[in-house]
Amino acid sequence: MTAVLAWLGGLAWFFVDWARASLRCRPPPGQTFAEAYKIGVQSLPVLLTISAFVGTNLALQGYNAFVPLGGQHLVGMFVALAGVRELAPLIAASMIAAKAGTEMASQIAVMRTREQIDALEVMAVNPYWWLITPRLYGILLVMPALSLIAVFTTLFTSYCASVYQLGLNPSTFLQFARQATHLKDLATGEVKAIVFAVIICFVSCYCGFFSEKGPEGVGKATNRAVVVSCVICVTFNYLVSQVLYG
Amino acid sequence: VLDLLAGLGRFGAFAWRVAWRILTPPWNSEDFFRHAWTVGIRCVGPVLAVTFPFGLVISLQGLAIFDLFGAQRLLPSLISVAVIRELSPVLASVLVAAQAGSSYAAELGAMRIKEELDATEVMAVDSLRWHVAPRVAALMLVCPLLNTLGDVAGLCGGFVMAVGVKGENAGVFMANLWSFVHVFDLVGGLIKTMVFGAIIGLVACFHGYYATGGAAGVGKGVNDTVVRATLAFFAANYVLTSAFFGAGG
Repeated sequence: MTAVLAWLGGLAWFFVDWARASLRCRPPPGQTFAEAYKIGVQSLPVLLTISAFVGTNLALQGYNAFVPLGGQHLVGMFVALAGVRELAPLIAASMIAAKAGTEMASQIAVMRTREQIDALEVMAVNPYWWLITPRLYGILLVMPALSLIAVFTTLFTSYCASVYQLGLNPSTFLQFARQATHLKDLATGEVKAIVFAVIICFVSCYCGFFSEKGPEGVGKATNRAVVVSCVICVTFNYLVSQVLYG
Repeated sequence: VLDLLAGLGRFGAFAWRVAWRILTPPWNSEDFFRHAWTVGIRCVGPVLAVTFPFGLVISLQGLAIFDLFGAQRLLPSLISVAVIRELSPVLASVLVAAQAGSSYAAELGAMRIKEELDATEVMAVDSLRWHVAPRVAALMLVCPLLNTLGDVAGLCGGFVMAVGVKGENAGVFMANLWSFVHVFDLVGGLIKTMVFGAIIGLVACFHGYYATGGAAGVGKGVNDTVVRATLAFFAANYVLTSAFFGAGG
């Protein structure tokens, strides 16, 4: 328990150190867009595949839950509510944590192992500014877009599954889906995406930055980065939902 | 595309060899229990920490829907079906992939880089049988157990939100909790997670076992493990869900 608290305290100090080093300076030129490209474009295929399967499963399970009540037509509503409000942003976050977050953690941990971070400090380059700022701004640039893509992929595949696999009426599905969701729900998804992006970036970079040296250290840092960022994201998802819909 | 197919082929051969060593004696049962124990202990916290808030959220959003129809008493049925059939197996497996899968890839990768695996082979010990098979088998045991814990935590989350925060009636909640759940749903969840455990274990050990390129290679292997294991079992999940609870269900 104390170890967890100490870890969280370390994370908070890490954030403060970063803010002190970077908020007043411009980010390292050129790197932000390179990171954004790397995070956004490389995560896209994974994100598309996963959210496609989430959509189909959502439709299947929704159908199964509502059939005993004779409410098959509610599947559209269920899918739209669950997908747009909760699942798609969360799935996007966990996939970004798995793909981009682990990459950040392992890259930075490798730099720690090879003492490149110490080398940066020797050259009077602030490592927080040089390593974390571009990653943070990059992930902040692409995360809302990725979350939106996840939302629409989920809706599209659940539409396909409901209409073609389960034989529901397409226009009823669309009508209920439209009725259930508002612009506000999409906006909430974006708010969540931004919160998740900050969490993923700082947790992953923190894990990498203070990793032990050597191959095991890199592996452990990468491992911890995904698990902790997923757990914190789910917890914050609850908090944001509670505040906005509670 | 050719690279992808070649990789899949190698993975298939690897999976076959590991499966063969899991099914035939001699078994390395000491390592099996040790791995099962450590994985179980290390994953319990994350699994509970994720499924409980998820139960809270389903309950919150479900109440928002059912309030429209005045059908709040259906909420517990929805929660139990959603948690037991789908959410707990998937979330538990995501976390096992993130926690156990990546640590396997890291351990085996480090052993490969330090040439410990080669040393085992030199000593005429079958490294697949000794190092890989018990890990995969341990995940197949631990995943269903964690899934059960996840079920309980998710339902607790739902209960806390509905009864504690929103002030629904506790008796009504408990009475309706089991109305749509059959034993088969629980068993289906267990089978699903067992398959997911096998997938995660195989993918993780594959990436660790064939790691190359020093510390950076291990990091990349861990990264690929989480992503690919998650992809593979989400795909498997769709197939299994269709098979168990599909359109006829």
